[in-house]
Amino acid sequence: MAVSENGDRRAQGEGQARKSGLLQGPTAQRRALVKRPPAEGRVVAITGAYSYIGAELARRLEADPRVSRVLAVDVRKPAFPASKTRFHKIDLTMPTADSDLSALWKREGVDTVVHAAFLSSPTHNSAWAHELESIGTMHVLNAAGEAAVGKLVLFSTTLVYGAGPSNPNFLDERHELRGHPRARFVKDKVEAERQAERFARENPETVVTVLRVAATLGPTINNFATRFFMRPACPVMMGYDPLMQFVHESDVVDAFQLAVEGDHPGAFNIVGDGVLPYTTVLALLGRIPVPMPSFLAYSVSQALWMTQIFDSPPNFLDFLRFMCIADGAKAAREMGFCARHDIKQTLEDFLGVAPPLSAAERGL
Amino acid sequence: MAKSILGDDPFSTGKSKEGEKKAAERPAPVGKRERERERERERERERERERAQAQAQAQARPAKKKVAKAPTPTKKPEPVTAEPVAPPPPAAEVEAPRAVGEAEATEPAPADDYGPSIDVPPGHGSHLTDELRQGEQSGLGAARVGGLGPQRLGPSFPPPPPAPRRKMPLEFLWRRWREIAMRDRSEVVDEFGRDPHVAARMDPVLEFLYKRWFRVDVEGMGHIPAEGRALLVSNHSGTLPYDGAMIMYAVHRDHAEHRAVRPLVEDFVFHFPYLGTLMNRIGGVRACQENAERLLAQDQLVAVFPEGIKGVGKLFSQRYQLQRFGRGGFVKLALACDAPIIPTAVVGAEEIHPMLSKVTWLAKSVGIPYVPITPTFPLLGPLGLVPLPAKWFIAFGEPMYFNADYGPEAAGDRILVNKLAEQVRQRIQEMVDGLRARRGSVLLG
Repeated sequence: MAVSENGDRRAQGEGQARKSGLLQGPTAQRRALVKRPPAEGRVVAITGAYSYIGAELARRLEADPRVSRVLAVDVRKPAFPASKTRFHKIDLTMPTADSDLSALWKREGVDTVVHAAFLSSPTHNSAWAHELESIGTMHVLNAAGEAAVGKLVLFSTTLVYGAGPSNPNFLDERHELRGHPRARFVKDKVEAERQAERFARENPETVVTVLRVAATLGPTINNFATRFFMRPACPVMMGYDPLMQFVHESDVVDAFQLAVEGDHPGAFNIVGDGVLPYTTVLALLGRIPVPMPSFLAYSVSQALWMTQIFDSPPNFLDFLRFMCIADGAKAAREMGFCARHDIKQTLEDFLGVAPPLSAAERGL
Repeated sequence: MAKSILGDDPFSTGKSKEGEKKAAERPAPVGKRERERERERERERERERERAQAQAQAQARPAKKKVAKAPTPTKKPEPVTAEPVAPPPPAAEVEAPRAVGEAEATEPAPADDYGPSIDVPPGHGSHLTDELRQGEQSGLGAARVGGLGPQRLGPSFPPPPPAPRRKMPLEFLWRRWREIAMRDRSEVVDEFGRDPHVAARMDPVLEFLYKRWFRVDVEGMGHIPAEGRALLVSNHSGTLPYDGAMIMYAVHRDHAEHRAVRPLVEDFVFHFPYLGTLMNRIGGVRACQENAERLLAQDQLVAVFPEGIKGVGKLFSQRYQLQRFGRGGFVKLALACDAPIIPTAVVGAEEIHPMLSKVTWLAKSVGIPYVPITPTFPLLGPLGLVPLPAKWFIAFGEPMYFNADYGPEAAGDRILVNKLAEQVRQRIQEMVDGLRARRGSVLLG
């Protein structure tokens, strides 16, 4: 942390040096140590291994003969049968997390870090959320720099673009990360992305992949979106019916797997195919729409959030008024990621009443 | 319609056999295509029967083989040893999908696709069917077909099998509700949100407005290309954006290819409650450079109204005086996307809501730019929102193709862009003036 902050301060006066990136980040000596992920015997560290994505990815890496070890870092132990995976309890909100992580990763010779320790839904404890998401990412990045990790894969969401009246129908990766006004949950993720961007600039030897994942649904995952759509009735802002986009949980893990296997620097939108209007989504799911005038909806939602009856803060209602749809073309072009489930299949699978995909569709 | 969405879909958990039985019991389909297919199958079956009979006869009297063969329609003589009872393979192939009762099942689905649309009711209008199919394919299908096959998609280890199905509580109620909720919408919208069912439902309304209420006269339809991209640039008026809907409907109805026009809708209409959503479902797209580029890249027809809110909110005293054409964004778009500009003039729309004055102080608080004061509007209440039945004229002019003279890099030349925008504006103003000069009466034309 100290390195980059000092570097930052120095660079303020020296625009030219800043552009070259020489004043910041690790020294040339340390850069030479950066490990390219080898073809065989890879060591992958996953932070947030208890989360759906972390655990699922670890499970798939278990089956990969090219991976020799998986380090699962979290505060809770993921439950799955593991032969190569070792659990390490490190709390990212602790001030010593960065040195703990770098010591561990150096000792184990980690070549790839997957940082998925993010909250899947907004919380009232925003100070803790900030410690975990923004400061936790800082610790992870510092440790990755220190341990000269060759590849870093960061979880992010398409919420970082924010829902707004001036959004084009398809937001590509170059679009500004506006976040969402007064939404801590989104703001912390934007902060994490900014740090990762700076890390990538300062450490050109390290491949930094940011995966911006759309609202994830699926039969097993539990997050903000699944809880929202599990309710029998959902609020509808009267007169508004924005288009929505979802991605299937197993497609998200596919994307992480692709990012671990190949080198794809940059940010990628990970989205499912197809869009549907919000009310059609509700109709397909068989949910009851509850129309609310916008002036009322915000205050009702505020009251429900304050009393902790509902787990969505009021400004999230903007996502029910305006579009926030990301364009997955870059991931398809550069990563070769192509979602196996389109929006309808995702919704059906989320309900748990869909037939399983055929062998051909699952790529067997 | 709802039945076909929900009757034979994957949601029928473990009841597929019953579903099939039901499908088999269903009355004969009523669609024209269906009937034709049915007849064809009948003919085929008859031929089979004849052939079988002929063969049986041939076996019974091997000496008179040639005589017996003569009436059979088959070109190649079948070997005598063939079993007469075994049905020939083509008939079986035709029969099989019949049992499922699917209208489209006889057409082979692309291997990468996930089968025919379950959304298509038997015997429904064909253009709607085509559109739905196209919508289904354009999403995932396009990406899959276009070289990124599933084999290239290569995390080496496939996901584990999905979790077992759940049983919904009160499933029959839920199912019924779903049926009701899905009645007037389709399960597939295109990537900009056009819903074919909603659009089809709006057609009678648009037809009434077009034919009976505004009695639109269209000229120059031949200037709209049968295929490929083009930018329709039009004047804008009428307080409410009826002109966009009418241009869209005119091309859809009267063009030889029945092409779809995607009007770019300014923000205040697009985010106007209900109206914006409806515009979006029938084909409107939020006006911004990214969307327009994407649409033109797909070789679609895009209608723009560069006057924007200044045009639609003109006072009656300023009617038919074209306002500033924005900042010339549409010229940049045409240059960058290599699209011809088709100047379009609409006459008549100025008189449907003659705006005498507008109130802005009240409007800003509810999020609209102004509240119009027309001879009827606040006075008659909601009745005042009915447009006056003025006679309309729409003219499509000669395409202006700037890329013949300038390259796409000219989009950065602001002076040039402004000059070209002004040229287009002049052209449309001339067309509007020409139409007005020919028009006798506002109401009768």
